Formats: sequence, structure tokens, C-alpha cells
Amino acid sequence: MARIIIPFPFRKHTANQREVDIQGESLSQVIEQLIQRYPGLRTMNENPALLSVFVNGKQIQGQAKEWDNVPLRSDDEISLIIPIAGG
Amino acid sequence: MSDLGHAVRIDLPDHLWQEIIGHCRRKLAGDFLPGETPVRRAYGILAGDLEGEVMTVRLVLPVKKNARGVEPFKTYMDTVMAEHAVQSTTPMDRRGWITDPEELMACFRRIDEQGFTAFGTYHMHIVAWAGDPTRDTPTRLDTVLARNSNLVSFIISMVDREHPTMRAFYEGRPELEIPISITG
Repeated sequence: MARIIIPFPFRKHTANQREVDIQGESLSQVIEQLIQRYPGLRTMNENPALLSVFVNGKQIQGQAKEWDNVPLRSDDEISLIIPIAGG
Repeated sequence: MSDLGHAVRIDLPDHLWQEIIGHCRRKLAGDFLPGETPVRRAYGILAGDLEGEVMTVRLVLPVKKNARGVEPFKTYMDTVMAEHAVQSTTPMDRRGWITDPEELMACFRRIDEQGFTAFGTYHMHIVAWAGDPTRDTPTRLDTVLARNSNLVSFIISMVDREHPTMRAFYEGRPELEIPISITG
């Protein structure tokens, strides 16, 4: 059961929960199941290129299509980050 | 309450307001910190307590890095700016800012550790535009970039460097202003 830290701006979609435990064997599975459980989080993945993922504090390189190859252990902590930008 | 769109007022202690202005003035003076992207732009994260419909700012986190020139953010910003930024003599690749993921994660972690809520971002506007002498509201680009963010965009007008002002807009939408009260 991996633990996902929900980024602040998206906690309105998880009833203000900071972290959510999700079962899954790979990073892509876990993210897919997270979005299934909280469909409002789909906006987080609107532009997959902008989504950065950290597992236990270490950034996972590559893009969403490559995350099938990232295995997870049951005690892994995943942080999701969408950048903030301005003009 | 996790939807900041319901807030009716933002209380900003004066010492934190001074911290924000200090950040803006330092960047304008070209006085950069080690590890800071050397650009005359000031931006950061504001966090604090949310009680009922009132946000109280407790923490100012200036952001040091600008990932504007780093892929995939460069392509994203180039695309959005080509469509929404107003004409300017400043080259496009020197306009706009976007946070570095690692730095933003560290900011969010610190906010969580202190038990605060991330309210939004601040950034400054420094040049008056024809028809917009104060520049204290979000540009169309600001609005596009803040879409669906559930964050408040704090816009600091540094057009008059001696008398800066700040206004706040939910998701950078000009019609969703939240009044700011500077408190003692």
C-alpha cells in the first residue's frame, strides 16, 4: 500500500485529506487508481508533462507513459507536484 | 474548508507584508541569493490558517528558482505565452516564471510540517502599461496560468517603488477579488 501525498491545491478533491493510501504494483497503476477514487484529481493530470512525481523524496525522471516500469514497495511515499506559474 | 474560493477576507500581518516587499525590492536591486535564478522577478508562496471564511497569512516562502528555461516547462510556457501574453519588447523567453518541482515540494512539505494551508502565490508587476497605470490586477496570462489551481494570486504592484500595493484574486480571476487587511 503506497502512500500518496496530495498537493495542496488538489486537496479540495480529497475532502482535504493530506495523504491517501493506494494499492498498486507500479507508479502508473497507483496514480490511475488514485484518480479513479477521486475523479476531481483528473485536472491534476490535464497536462501530464507538467506532473512531477517523487518517490521517497527522489524525483522520478521521464513521463507518465514510462511509469509502468517504476515498481513500488508497500511503504513507499509518493509526492505529486504540479508547478505554479505566472506572467 | 479546502476550497479557498469561499474566503471573504485575508489578514496579512504587517511584518509579513514588509517581508514580501523586502523580497521584491531585493530582486529589483539585482541582489540575488546563492542558488537563486538571477532574474528581476519576485515570486513566492503564502501559507497560513484558514478559520471560517478568513485566511490569515502566517508564512512567506520566497521561491528562488525559475524553471522557465527547463524542459518540459519551457515548451509549456512558450506555448501559453505565445497565445495569451501581451506584446512586449522583452523577449518571450525572458518573460514568465514557473516553479522548480523540487523546490515547490520542499515548500509544501514545510507548510505541512507547520500545520498551515498553502493559500497562494505572490508575484510582482513593475512596469505601468498604457491603460493600466497601477498593474495591481492579474493579466490575462496570470489568469490562464492560475486556472483550476485552487490558489489565490497575490499581485504586488511595484510600479511606485515607494508605495507598493497588493491585491488578491482567487485563481487569478479579476472578478474574484478577496480583500486584504494589513494587520498590526
